[in-house]
Amino acid sequence: MNPNKPSYHEMAQGNHLNLLSCPKCKMVCSDELEYCPRCDSELAIRDESSLQKAWAFLITAAILLIPANIYPISIITKQGRVTHDTIFSGILHTIHLGMIPIAIILFIASILVPWLKIIGLATYLSAISFNLPLSKRFLMKGFHIIEWIGRWSMLDLCVISLTVALVNMGQLLDAKPGIAATPFALVILFTQLAAKVLDTRLLWDRMENKHDSNRTTKNS
Amino acid sequence: MSDSDTPKLQSIILCQSCDVAVSRQALPANVRALCPRCHSALYAKPFCTINGVLALCITALLLYIPANFYPVLELHFFGSIRTSTVWEGAYSVIKQGYYIVGIAVALGAIVAPAALLVSILLQVLIVKHGLHKPILRKYFRSILKKHLLIKQFSMPEIYVISMFVTAFNLGDFADIYMGIGTFCYVMLFILMLFLQREYNIDYMWEQLHESQ
Repeated sequence: MNPNKPSYHEMAQGNHLNLLSCPKCKMVCSDELEYCPRCDSELAIRDESSLQKAWAFLITAAILLIPANIYPISIITKQGRVTHDTIFSGILHTIHLGMIPIAIILFIASILVPWLKIIGLATYLSAISFNLPLSKRFLMKGFHIIEWIGRWSMLDLCVISLTVALVNMGQLLDAKPGIAATPFALVILFTQLAAKVLDTRLLWDRMENKHDSNRTTKNS
Repeated sequence: MSDSDTPKLQSIILCQSCDVAVSRQALPANVRALCPRCHSALYAKPFCTINGVLALCITALLLYIPANFYPVLELHFFGSIRTSTVWEGAYSVIKQGYYIVGIAVALGAIVAPAALLVSILLQVLIVKHGLHKPILRKYFRSILKKHLLIKQFSMPEIYVISMFVTAFNLGDFADIYMGIGTFCYVMLFILMLFLQREYNIDYMWEQLHESQ
């Protein structure tokens, strides 16, 4: 790191300059205003309650992840034989059929992404709640990745909806969604909400507090 | 509440992710400023070619219609033929009692993309013709405030990938054909990709600010 550049502890934050930015339109305003002059949204320096809301959404999502994984997500009837497939066994099935690239896509979208999202968000929220000494820059990068990849879990649900619409030939060949589909959809919804509702600036405020105790800069 | 008392504030930017204060500098086209502390995206050139956005938006809206009315996949299995449009896909899940799943698919693949296109179309038309009218300014503001939410729900890219995944999956035991609907949906996705590259919400906010 360039020694002439201010270390990132010393950078001025909006709340030290009596400034805040509108959460909706990003306009920079004085912190005395209650409503944004440009878009009329309510202004607040920080949304402290967002941490609690994010925890609530995250815990809900983590609980729902269990039924989403242990119950069948699709029920396929092939010439009278009925198979119940969970997310995981569905992917194993795809591997047995030799469609490795498809299996990788499905694995990333329906297993890796939800788990990463929940573990990542839990780490992020604990870092704020319990002041864990983790690199903030690393956490922030992880957070942006989580925000971006989260929606890709929808892939499995879209595949199910198309399959169910196309494959309906009674005993010969038939596909139906299983009960895990709803909890799986809710996992996506709640993890997205947790990431969206959180005021990430809370993380950086914690660091400012730590600055007083002379912690050395930790670079990722 | 006038903006004359805040000339200095125009040159300051606060990072939305970490609240660091950064002075705004002119950027060349296609360059984004990143936050020096947390590396989140701060701002890009506050500029968009309104007519280009309008053209892309109208084209996408025109493609939207066949993309939703023609089947995206067709399945042939021992003489029986099944087709499915995007909406039938979502509806078949709802019919089985999985409302949340069906609504999520319908929202991400049909409703939100349409809302996004209409939102951008209205914004462009108001910027071009009606920002001097107070009532339209009010609409413009409330559309802009909802824009990011709509954008988050719109996921045609995921639907495109899932069409191909389904085709491969089912192609194992049946014949799968793609038709005009598939083509139109993929084109719609590509156009929306370019549209969102071209569109700039900060520019729209600035237009509103300047007109006040």
